[in-house]
Amino acid sequence: MWPKASKKRITMNRRQFILSGLALGTTVTLGLNGYQLLNSDDTANSELVLAALLPALLYGALPTAPAESDAAIRRTIAAVHDSLAFLPLRQQQELQLLFNLLAQRLGRLALSGHWLPLAELSLPQRLTLFARWRDSYLGVLQQAYHGLRELLFAAYYSQPEHWATLNYTAPRFR
Amino acid sequence: MAKQSPQHLDASQFTADQQFSADVVIIGSGAGGGIAAELLAKAGLQVLLLEEGAYYDRDDFVMEERWAYPQLYQEAAGRKTRDQAIGILQGRTVGGSTTVNWTTSIRTPQSTLSYWQTEFGLDFSGDNRLSPYFALAEQRLNIHRWPVPPNANNAKLQQGCERLGWEYTVIDRNVNGCANLGYCGMGCPINAKQSMLVSTIPSALAQGARLISRLSVRQLHWQGNQVQSLTAVPVDRFFHPRAEIQIRIRAKHFIVAAGAIGSPALLLRSKVPDPSGRLGKHTYLHPTVISGAVFNEDINGHAGAPQSIYSDQFVWPSDGQAGYKLEVPPLHPVLMATKLTGQAQAHAALMQQFNQLQVTIALLRDGFHPQSQGGSVSLDAQQQPLLDYPISDYLWQGMRRALLSMAELQFAAGAKAVLPIHHQAQQYQSWAEAKSAIAQLAMRPLLQTVVSAHVMGGCNMAANERQGVVNADGQHYQLQNLSIFDGSVLPTSLGANPQLTIYALVWRNTERLISRLRHGSR
Repeated sequence: MWPKASKKRITMNRRQFILSGLALGTTVTLGLNGYQLLNSDDTANSELVLAALLPALLYGALPTAPAESDAAIRRTIAAVHDSLAFLPLRQQQELQLLFNLLAQRLGRLALSGHWLPLAELSLPQRLTLFARWRDSYLGVLQQAYHGLRELLFAAYYSQPEHWATLNYTAPRFR
Repeated sequence: MAKQSPQHLDASQFTADQQFSADVVIIGSGAGGGIAAELLAKAGLQVLLLEEGAYYDRDDFVMEERWAYPQLYQEAAGRKTRDQAIGILQGRTVGGSTTVNWTTSIRTPQSTLSYWQTEFGLDFSGDNRLSPYFALAEQRLNIHRWPVPPNANNAKLQQGCERLGWEYTVIDRNVNGCANLGYCGMGCPINAKQSMLVSTIPSALAQGARLISRLSVRQLHWQGNQVQSLTAVPVDRFFHPRAEIQIRIRAKHFIVAAGAIGSPALLLRSKVPDPSGRLGKHTYLHPTVISGAVFNEDINGHAGAPQSIYSDQFVWPSDGQAGYKLEVPPLHPVLMATKLTGQAQAHAALMQQFNQLQVTIALLRDGFHPQSQGGSVSLDAQQQPLLDYPISDYLWQGMRRALLSMAELQFAAGAKAVLPIHHQAQQYQSWAEAKSAIAQLAMRPLLQTVVSAHVMGGCNMAANERQGVVNADGQHYQLQNLSIFDGSVLPTSLGANPQLTIYALVWRNTERLISRLRHGSR
C-alpha cells in the first residue's frame, strides 16, 4: 500500500491521481510498494518503453537495415530524454509515471489489456494497444496517446539523419 | 550568445544574492517590453529590462528545430492547455515571440476596436486613435508590403481565393534585407527580421538601459496602492526557476510585459487585488485548425517567407457564427510530423510527401460571443502557469466550418487530395467527398487537433474597474505604479496577428507613462 504521504503524492493532480489509481489497483494484488513504483529506475523504464514503442510507431519510417534502424532508435531515445528536461516539472512527472507504469507488468495490463511485456508483443499488437488509448473512454489515456505520439515523432524527425526519405535538407547558410 | 557586458547580465551566472534598482523595471522583453524599453531609455529614465529566456543573437540561429524549440520557445514549443487539447507556440527568449514569429504585421481591425468600444467602453477614436502609433511602429520596424512573389504554399492560398472569388491580401512584414529563407520561426540568421531583439532592445541598451536575461520574476511585493519591489530567481539551463539565489529589485515604476500567460501568472503569484475578478480570466488564443493538401507539384513549404498572403473572407460572418482568418504556416519536419495524423506506415507515407504538401490554417476569432469567453490561467504546484481553455460548441461549429472552407479552397487551388488534421479524418479525393466527410467528424478535444500561436487577454483593459484589470493606458486599477504593457491587456482576440497591435498600443501607453512620470503624478 502507499507509504507515508510523500511530497510527490501530495502535489499530484487529477491526471496523476487516475494513473496512480491504476497503479494502486495493481500494487494491492502484487504486494508491490506504491512508492517504489513512483521512484523506480526512471531512465531504465522510459528506455524500455521507448525501445518497445518506437519500432511500432515509426514502422515504415525507420531504415530497413537492422543496424541503421537500431541506431535511429537510439538517437530518438536520446532526443526524447534531451527534450523532456525542458517540459514543466508537472508534465515530466506525468510522463515518467506513464513510463514506469508501462514498464511494470501489472500497470501495463491495466493500461493496455495485455499480459505480455510490451517488448514481447508483435509490432501490430503494439500499434493496436497504442490506438486503443486514442479511442479510450479514459481522458488520461487519450492524453497519453497524443502526448507520446507528439513527443516521439518530434524526437525522430528532429534529427537530420532521419530526413533522407523527406527529400529535405536544412539550408546551410554559413 | 550575446556576451555579458555592463549593459547585459546573465542571471544564470550569478553566484550570490543580488540587489538592483532602477527608475523603471520592465518584466519581459517581447513586443511590449521591447517598445517600452527604447522609449523610456530615450526619455532619459534608468531602465532595467528582465527576461526569463536567454540572450541569443543571429550566430546562434542555426535553422534547426531541435535547437530552436527548446532554446527559444516556452516549454520547448510543446506548451499545452490543461487538457492537452491545444498546443501553444509562444516565444521565451530576449525579444520574446517577436524573435520567432513569422513577421505578419496587421493593424487592429476596425470591427475589433468598435466591439471594444461597445462592450468595454474603450475609445480609440478621434484624439485617441491608434493610427499615428501604427505609423510610428511601421516606420520603426520597416513594416511594408512584401514585394516578392509568395512561395508556393502561400500562392495556393491566393489561387484558391482567386478561383472562388474570395478576398485575399498581400501581407505586410517587418523585415529589412530579407533573403526569403523561410526559417523565421527559428530566429532570423541574418538579422533581417526587425524583431525587438535587433531593433528596440539594442537601441535601449545603447542609451543606458540594462538587461538581465535568464531571470524569472517570482513575485511583486506591494502595499496599499504601491508596488515596492520584486523578487526573482535565475533559471537553470532548462529554463526552470532555481531557488538558491534571490534577486531583489526596487523601482519607482513597474511594467509587467511577460505575455498573456506569464503576466497574469506573476500577478496571481503576487496576490494583487482583483476586485473585477478578471485577473487570469478571458484568455484568448485564436484557436487554430489545420488542413493538409497533397499536390502533384512541389510546394516546398519550408522555403520562402512563411506568410505572405491571408484571406479575411470568413473573419466577420454576418450570421454571428465564429469567424476565422485563413493563413498558411511554414512547413518544417518536426512541425509537420507532430501535426500529421496516423502512425506507422500511414504517417511515414505522408511524411514522404513532405515537399508536395500544402498546409492552410484557420485562426478563429475568439472572445466576441457569450459562448466564447476564453480560458483561464492558474498556478500549478511549482507556481508555474497552466492555461485551461474549454472549447465550446460554438467554437467547435466554427472549426467545422473552417475545415470545410479550407478543403474547398485547397481543391479549388488544384489539390489532388485533402487531409483535414483530425484524428478520424482520411485523405479525401474531391471536394464533394471532403464536404460530406467533414460534416460527420466528431468535434472533440484531442480528436480534433487545435493549435495556437497568439495568446491574448488575462489582464484585460476596460474603461472602468468593474470590467477590467487595467485602464486603456495599461495602468493597473489598484496599484498605481504598475502598468501592464503586452497582449494580456487585450479584451478579446483581434481577428488579426497581434504584434502590430501590441507595438502601437504600448507605444501610445509608454508616451503617456513618460508624461505621467515627468509630472510626478503617478
